[in-house]
Amino acid sequence: MKKALLLLGCPEAPSQTPLAVYTTYKLKEIGYDVTIASTPSAKKLLEISDPENIYVTNKIDIETCLENLNEDEFDLLVGFVHKDAAVAYFVTFYHILNTKSVAITFEKDIDLLEKFIKDIQESTEADIISARAYHNPTPIRVKVDKYIKNLED
Amino acid sequence: MSFCLELHLQQSEDYKIIIKNAGFKEAKKIIEKHSPNRVYVKAGEKILGARIIGIPPIPIGIDDKESTVTLPYTKPCHGTAVVELPIEKEEIDKIKSIAIK
Repeated sequence: MKKALLLLGCPEAPSQTPLAVYTTYKLKEIGYDVTIASTPSAKKLLEISDPENIYVTNKIDIETCLENLNEDEFDLLVGFVHKDAAVAYFVTFYHILNTKSVAITFEKDIDLLEKFIKDIQESTEADIISARAYHNPTPIRVKVDKYIKNLED
Repeated sequence: MSFCLELHLQQSEDYKIIIKNAGFKEAKKIIEKHSPNRVYVKAGEKILGARIIGIPPIPIGIDDKESTVTLPYTKPCHGTAVVELPIEKEEIDKIKSIAIK
């Protein structure tokens, strides 16, 4: 079974938790075993969003994950990027894992969004899904659907 | 016992925060301005017992005379800080040994 690592950023962006649960569901549908790496507060949001662990079955603390991460340990890295620190984390995980990667990049400020995209493009060869989004996850969700459909094909 | 950056920052007051809550590239420029002597390392390298986070090449300022290093320290909700702290010469040598430039 292929393994995917979802890397969450700071949970202050309202779209992140529902998008993480949704992306986990979609990846599981096409046969991925999904692990979510997050901060303790982002983990709490996941636990309350999915109380019976129907979608989110594997969770790990982001720092523990980083310390023990090895090259090729996952087949797919999916990073949620909506802050400058999330760019730094995604790029770091990308360079350690050296595997297929996609950054789901969203921000309400278009200048910041473009900066995040530029920083990722300059330092990785990762795929990028991006949209101007904050409260409403739909613009990103539509693009996640399309990306995962292409993964399946 | 090897140096542990996380523990040092939690339990000691023997460090200086040069900037906090910054963007990574801003932090990088500050290290380059603050530290005339520096090396660059890959993202994810273990530095002082912790994996260094950032956009490579990541600068680490080294002051051999004072035996201090200046490096970026990133957390998901707090952005990037630049911290300067004293370390043993052997830890400085370890950092130099993994430098890419």
